[in-house]
Amino acid sequence: MIALMEFINFYLIPGIVLGSIYALGAVGITLTFGILRFANFAHGETMTLGVYFTWTLMQITPFHPLVILPASMLLTVLVVLGIDRLFYKPFRASPTIMVVMASFGIMLMVRSVIQFVWGVQLKGLVPGIQRPMVLFDTLRISPKHMVIIASAVVLVLLIHLLLSRTKIGKAMRAMSDSPELARLTGIGTEKIVMTTWVVGASLACAAGVFLAYDTHVETMMGFKLLLPMFAAAILGGVGKPYGAIAGGLIIGLVEELSSYPWIGTEPLLNPGYKAGVAFAIMVLMLLWRPSGLFRGRVF
Amino acid sequence: MKKLLAVPVAATAALSLSAGVFAGDINVGSVAGVTGPIAELVAPIVAGRNLAAEHVNSQGGLLAGDTLNMVLADSACDPKAGVDAGGKVVNVEQVVAVVGASCSGATNGMVQSVTIPAGVVNISDSATAPSITDLEDNDLVFRVAPSDAYQGAALAKLAYDSGARNLAMTYSNDDYNAGIAQVFEKSFTEMGGTITANQAHEPNKASYRSELSTLANGGPDGLALFAYYGSSGIAIIRNSLENALFDKFFAADGMFDVSVIEQIGADNLKGNIQITQSASDYDDVSYQTWAELYKATGNDPKAPYAAHGYDATFLIALAIEKAGAADRSKIAAALREVANAPGEIVRPGEWEKAKALLAEGKDVNYEGATGNVDFDENGDVAGIYGVNTVADDGTWANELIK
Repeated sequence: MIALMEFINFYLIPGIVLGSIYALGAVGITLTFGILRFANFAHGETMTLGVYFTWTLMQITPFHPLVILPASMLLTVLVVLGIDRLFYKPFRASPTIMVVMASFGIMLMVRSVIQFVWGVQLKGLVPGIQRPMVLFDTLRISPKHMVIIASAVVLVLLIHLLLSRTKIGKAMRAMSDSPELARLTGIGTEKIVMTTWVVGASLACAAGVFLAYDTHVETMMGFKLLLPMFAAAILGGVGKPYGAIAGGLIIGLVEELSSYPWIGTEPLLNPGYKAGVAFAIMVLMLLWRPSGLFRGRVF
Repeated sequence: MKKLLAVPVAATAALSLSAGVFAGDINVGSVAGVTGPIAELVAPIVAGRNLAAEHVNSQGGLLAGDTLNMVLADSACDPKAGVDAGGKVVNVEQVVAVVGASCSGATNGMVQSVTIPAGVVNISDSATAPSITDLEDNDLVFRVAPSDAYQGAALAKLAYDSGARNLAMTYSNDDYNAGIAQVFEKSFTEMGGTITANQAHEPNKASYRSELSTLANGGPDGLALFAYYGSSGIAIIRNSLENALFDKFFAADGMFDVSVIEQIGADNLKGNIQITQSASDYDDVSYQTWAELYKATGNDPKAPYAAHGYDATFLIALAIEKAGAADRSKIAAALREVANAPGEIVRPGEWEKAKALLAEGKDVNYEGATGNVDFDENGDVAGIYGVNTVADDGTWANELIK
């Protein structure tokens, strides 16, 4: 019983929290991949930017980060749309590699701007520590983890409604499945592109804020998530938002569970190699089934 | 991925920070982890370096009145970025000597790939990994920061004396943290303590709850934590306290920053954390002279390695003056002569006096803010340490370890 509770408290719940954050970030990556057809390296920096907007708004208003989140999502979306207009739109008809390189440049530029404006010092959204609630004597749930998981579920439901119930959402999926067919049926490309950025940037901002809420704020935080988010997108199938959500959760869970002492008392995998788990899943998936769990695009 | 990206990052950071080069300048590389997990610690160190350059330039300059120009480059506390930063100052800016590169991993990378092959002398002001002692360095790598062979033992003694007998350990997998963890483990067990578990961890993860829950098995008295505060240290302390896995922490200077208190809260740490730090003898006249001068720049003289940054830079300047030319190999050869006895004693801020003595052909012996800075055959210095605890007013309180 104690062993089970330890498993839930220290491996399962952190895994779900991490997985939710990966999942939200990976949706943006997979949509950009599917609809705009390039790997967006700047996605991590979009997250970071959202976090710094939230931090700034928290300095001037007395609200909780989650109350501020919609406002910082809006700011992040505006910046990302501006970046798209200035730096990606001119490359719309160019070979993919040029846009990828452009996104690489944006990544460095945005990061440098963040470091220049806000400095490289660590900051905290919520300083101090928050002790978990103890339920049934053994189950420890931190309030902030419940908030993160619940908010992630709400956001995922919203994406689901957008993609399945609205015209623009359906058009996005059509565009991701087959751009030629979508264009033939008269779907307006630019509008779809804009919606893609809006969805991707809002979710990235939310994922970043959840991470900062659980840890702290620093300028490399989004970039450090880039690899697991790419792994999640590939695992789920490129261009498949539901796949990205599943992929994110799986990667988050596997990373945490890989160091559980499944056999004996030693961790199954030395936690020093946790970061390699996302890599390993990505490589295995590419070898075994390049289209991913949800039959996404193969490049 | 990270290594690939570090190239342009370091280059952009360096470009934006380096000052212009003018005729009559002598360039010295100032490589530091301006960004990265210890950014807050690095700023006062760079201020220390710049203060030394300022003293040189305001008191007659180098050689025939040349300006000592410190070319700043960002090592980001990362081995690959350290190599890039070193390459930039050595090959592009053509510096005659280098101070840096902050973290041990970055320093190891930079000296092995850049400065040693190029024949450029390097003084590190904060790299403390024991592995730097044994480098095949052609007598080109020096440091005014003492090796963690001493700090690890000092921390082990501190932990043992505070009553801890069973400790769990975790270290971030890099040159500095792995190096000091090894020394700590050896010293602590030799004293009779027991290490219940010792585990490496990967920096920059969002959660360390699973690692910590495994480490807490068997109920150790506390956690010996070897990490940089910005990449995993704060997260580990937070996860430990939130889940009541550990409440006592022993750590080394990579964890010493005010942001630890800001992020975790002073009340949660009071009486529960001890962090060693390379210190100076605060009663020493050289230290006091320097501290007054440094305080005037608006910085705290007890900031870790700020005094070391000053001493490293001042020594390079003395070596250039002694060599009589901005010549890389002559400077390297002159360094030991100005740092070690015999010679007339020169203290921080006394550039004019040193310049006059050297012009007369006399020997000088620099006694710095950090101690006598006499280099041994490995280019190392002996060290003294302080311990930091959280004071009643919620700031770090520093005390020398006798």
